[in-house]
Amino acid sequence: MGYVKEERPTTISVEGTWNIGSYHYKGSKLMEEYVKGLKQKKLIGSFCPGCGKVIVPPRNLCGRCHRIMDRRKIVSNRGTITCFIVTPPMEKGKLKVLGMDPVETGLIKEGEVVIPVFVKFDGSDSNTDTILLNVDPKAVHIGMRVKVLWAKEPQGALSDFEGVEPV
Amino acid sequence: MRRNVAIIGCGQTKHTSKRRDVNIAEMVSEAVYNALEDAQVSLREVDAFVVGNMQGFGGIAQPEQWLGDSIGAPGKSVIRIATGGTTGGSVGQGAYYTVASGLHDVAVAVAWEKHSDSREAGATTGLLHVGLGNFFHAASYGLSLKNLVATSAVGAAAGVAVFQAVFYMHRSGCSIEHFDMVAAKARRNAAKNKYAHLQWPGCTPEDIARTEIIAYPFRYGHICPASDGASAIVVAEENLARKKARQPAWFKGLAAFSDEENSLQSENFGGVGVLDPSEQKGCWMSATKAYKMAGIKDPQKEIDVAEVYQPFPSQELIFAERLGLFDEGTAWMALEKGETDIDGRMPLDPSGGVNATNAIGSTALQRILECALQIMGKAEEHQVPRKVSNAVAHGWGGVTNYITVTVLGDSPGR
Repeated sequence: MGYVKEERPTTISVEGTWNIGSYHYKGSKLMEEYVKGLKQKKLIGSFCPGCGKVIVPPRNLCGRCHRIMDRRKIVSNRGTITCFIVTPPMEKGKLKVLGMDPVETGLIKEGEVVIPVFVKFDGSDSNTDTILLNVDPKAVHIGMRVKVLWAKEPQGALSDFEGVEPV
Repeated sequence: MRRNVAIIGCGQTKHTSKRRDVNIAEMVSEAVYNALEDAQVSLREVDAFVVGNMQGFGGIAQPEQWLGDSIGAPGKSVIRIATGGTTGGSVGQGAYYTVASGLHDVAVAVAWEKHSDSREAGATTGLLHVGLGNFFHAASYGLSLKNLVATSAVGAAAGVAVFQAVFYMHRSGCSIEHFDMVAAKARRNAAKNKYAHLQWPGCTPEDIARTEIIAYPFRYGHICPASDGASAIVVAEENLARKKARQPAWFKGLAAFSDEENSLQSENFGGVGVLDPSEQKGCWMSATKAYKMAGIKDPQKEIDVAEVYQPFPSQELIFAERLGLFDEGTAWMALEKGETDIDGRMPLDPSGGVNATNAIGSTALQRILECALQIMGKAEEHQVPRKVSNAVAHGWGGVTNYITVTVLGDSPGR
């Protein structure tokens, strides 16, 4: 017994597809509450009875003290940027996310500069992960004041919260 | 009562973008047989294997069933461990537990990744597998599909790390030039390591600074490659270790903790409760526990070399501080002074680290392996020019919040 190498000189490829629609996952009830809030243009967070932190979007358990966060608190639509990333202009065929080209699928426009940010909404203790819109990329800075950009007609979906924009 | 345990042999494959001449089983067995040869141990003497790679990567769900024959595992104990980017760290620690517990006398830990088996860049097939499970979970981050994609557009782990880097820059005062310096050092060091992937002798920070910005503050030249490769260590109990190796690398202390500090994927059901993703409390907790077990009171004085898991250069600075090797917010100053060079006061990643070679499942085991080489005096061209009594190996992974810390030494320490 020792090191064995097969005779085939290189690896080969076999064509195939993978149906991701054949999986089922259980949804979170917390998110139902959250999106109901979004429909009324309200940001709902959960309150930790242990450390007093307010987390947006809400979660079941506090990550640090492991207490059940069953109380809700509505926080302000306005907040402060705590962190940001500025991407180069997006181009078709340059990138794949979750197996798809976001420019080709229309989720991101050709040439769009994407600015993912963390926002600490007034009254919350967490960073909410979202994107910054309607802004000159050069003007973005930590500490920048922003507000939620709501969908024109909120449907009670996560997409009601389109992102944030400068105040 | 736990037994003393040491690493007595190390084996790797040369890391490269595409190993099309081998399949996973062949590549993994290359590393295993190299390690057995280095340890002067026959397959007959091996009792157990601990194996691992990133879950689902390479499109293979149960790779251990495929490669078991190739590495000579039939009839022996086999455990597969997968903890994301820390897989190799957990695999190395798993081999320690196997022997320290008294269950087996000799165990081989082997970890690998073969990115090129996926047609898409990186190991997207695997990331899709990992990502899909998390995708539905991701709905509880409160991100719509458009925003999730936009956020993910900056890259999987890179997306997490870039947030982390911005936080670190903001609180420590370091700048993008320091990331250029770390990346240049990684490529220069890698040029001295014959197994490393991105080798660039004489690479300067200016060379790195000429590369395109991907997502500020990360440039193309800052990012680790996607490598094909495997690494293996032979782990043995004290009597055999003393008999087989002139200088075994002893396990002195180890720990693995996670914290909620991941920017996107929280292990505790959604929300983003973290204020600073560069805080990395899990690393601090792991280091504290491992140093205590190793009897190390002042890591700044007692650690001779460190292999930090740094796919992105900011992480060498962040984690070196969390490993207690520098005071808070000062690692970049030490970098400026050359203290982290191979011949510096606190050499960081003399092998080039993850920044130069990234076969994901294997990388955290490589950190342990490289520390062992330094202690055994077998690191050849990238051997640090000093007596290595203690070395610390770090891993970062899980869902970007899980840490492994392993302290190796030139004596069992008890």
